Amino acid sequence: MTTDDPIIEINNAAVTYDGGETFVLDHVSMSIERGEILGIVGESGSGKSMFADSMLDAIPDPGRLSGEILYHRDDGTTVDVLELSDDELREFRWEEVSMVFQGAMSSFNPTMKIGGHFRETLKAHDTDVTSGMEFARELLSDLYLDADRVLTSYPHELSGGMQQRALIALSLILEPEVLVMDEPTAALDLLMQRSILTLLEDLQEKYDLTMVFITHDLPLVAELADRMAVMYAFQLIEVGDREQLIANSGHPYTRALLNATPDIEAPLGEMRPIEGQSPAPINVPQGCSFAPRCPLATEECRVEDPASTQLDDGHAVACHYAEDARDEIALHFDRSEESVPVSGGGES
Amino acid sequence: MSNYYVRRTARVFATIFAVATLTFGLIRLLPGGPFTQLRAQLLRQGVPASEVDARISNLQNINPNAPLWRQYLDYMGAVAQGNFGESISLGEPVAQVIAEAVPWTVFVVLVSTILMFAVGIFLGSLQAYWEGSRFDKAFSGVSIGLMSVPFYVVAVISLYVFAYQWGWLPTAGTVGTNVEKELSVPFLLSALEHSLLPIFSYTLGGIGGQALAMRGNSIQVLGNDYVRVARLRGLADRRIATRYVARNAILPMYTGFLLLLGFRLSGTVILEQIFSYTGLGYYMFAALKANDYPLMMATFLVITVALIVGVYIADLTYSKIDPRISAGGSDEAY
Repeated sequence: MTTDDPIIEINNAAVTYDGGETFVLDHVSMSIERGEILGIVGESGSGKSMFADSMLDAIPDPGRLSGEILYHRDDGTTVDVLELSDDELREFRWEEVSMVFQGAMSSFNPTMKIGGHFRETLKAHDTDVTSGMEFARELLSDLYLDADRVLTSYPHELSGGMQQRALIALSLILEPEVLVMDEPTAALDLLMQRSILTLLEDLQEKYDLTMVFITHDLPLVAELADRMAVMYAFQLIEVGDREQLIANSGHPYTRALLNATPDIEAPLGEMRPIEGQSPAPINVPQGCSFAPRCPLATEECRVEDPASTQLDDGHAVACHYAEDARDEIALHFDRSEESVPVSGGGES
Repeated sequence: MSNYYVRRTARVFATIFAVATLTFGLIRLLPGGPFTQLRAQLLRQGVPASEVDARISNLQNINPNAPLWRQYLDYMGAVAQGNFGESISLGEPVAQVIAEAVPWTVFVVLVSTILMFAVGIFLGSLQAYWEGSRFDKAFSGVSIGLMSVPFYVVAVISLYVFAYQWGWLPTAGTVGTNVEKELSVPFLLSALEHSLLPIFSYTLGGIGGQALAMRGNSIQVLGNDYVRVARLRGLADRRIATRYVARNAILPMYTGFLLLLGFRLSGTVILEQIFSYTGLGYYMFAALKANDYPLMMATFLVITVALIVGVYIADLTYSKIDPRISAGGSDEAY
């Protein structure tokens, strides 16, 4: 899957924790367009976090990341993140690609004020602290926080939503090109999720960011993303523009996922849970990993792992029967553009 | 907030008052009672029977024939003024004996407890950083071994080896007999030489426990997201080790440190006996053996007060060290 002006190209990225017998990120390739918001959706244990971590070469020990992560700088030069030395990597992270983790509550040192986190980050990257702190204040006010109060507070003195916003500000303090967010709203209530989403859109516009937004919450990311990708069993099974992926998805899993999404306007009878469980890394099926749960699966599916194929323009699906899936598995919600299902419902 | 400090300070005095009262009561419950014993002893020494009561009241600040409440008031009044009476066995004012003994004990306990924590914290954090390494596994074993050897065993063995067999260090006392008791280099050197073995044996066994505690705390902190985020933010390893890991791992051990200081004061009873180190514990044991009640009561009181003050300082300062704890939060422990 290629794009015109990619900022990050991931080629065959694989993560293993047992020397190559099983993979928790199974040879994934993806390219991320400069300035886009890419939403990655997948259930728990589908390899989403591994995908996020691999972009910063930050897989937790003792995991091994192989493949190629190409980063294209503004000036046209390209580096392979996996080839960087320790010092180069230290600079690359946060200055070029920065990350917001799930659980902001545990991302701050509990015995240090929020302002200290900003200052030490600036110092660690040899940046001017005075002007850096000015920028921090600007970022915090962009996020509707009282900068003076937040900077002089300890993490526990802020609410979850405030910590999350402060963490987003911290991740942008060195003006990175790419912001990777791994379940940034998972611990927040619906209203806070909503307002953070709006703020992220504003930030993306103001600072011309490329965003990778990783979540298990399909409706949530559907509101924000330009392009979406669905992960299942450590692989990307479908990638496409948001409208394509929501209204015209080709993979049976994506379609089933859309039908399983709670929507306050949909009758309860129309919500379909997906039978079965997603596989663990040690027992990924031989052929298509979704075959055991797929209503359309045939012998071919069980034997041969489908390659990702172009379905429409910019829409790739890893399924032998993508065309059939569109006919066989009806989407229960109205396919018109306005009624993309929303989390918590109410606005559609 | 200031209200809390006032109440907390008042509680210190209330506790000390209760302890003094309890000491007063307990002494009267001792088998035979202090005065029977004392009276018999004085009579044996040939003190005329008519003078015995006067002597007793002088020794104890108490008139044995007065009603109990009167005795109690006299005793508490004297204690409040720092007057603990006169030691029966030493014939000196108890306050003076204590004043001479306390610095030695405080010196040994303070130095050994600080050493114990410093070495334990250092080794424990190394273990945590190299979790699962051969050093970690080996030293965990050593730690458990150290914890199971009581300090007095270390004391006796080291005394035998270093002092009696090899003669490197003195066998008894706080300073050499021919050294003037003044603040001078020979005095300090002699004091150091004499305290080396007590401090060593009082430190060694405690290291294991502190190292294991620090190891556990550090491993827990290292697994926290904020350490990972700090690494990704590109902070220097040294800053992460000190400001992130050590700071958060040592925090829970801080209260333990102050409490241990107080508890270890009472442990010196055995330690100072082994090294004939004339500190608080040494005199306490001597008082017990000699039925020297005034001295006994005073040493009891001093040790309890030290513990109370330790807890007091811990309570007052913890909020300064851990921002998540605010002094005098919702539920106080009385």
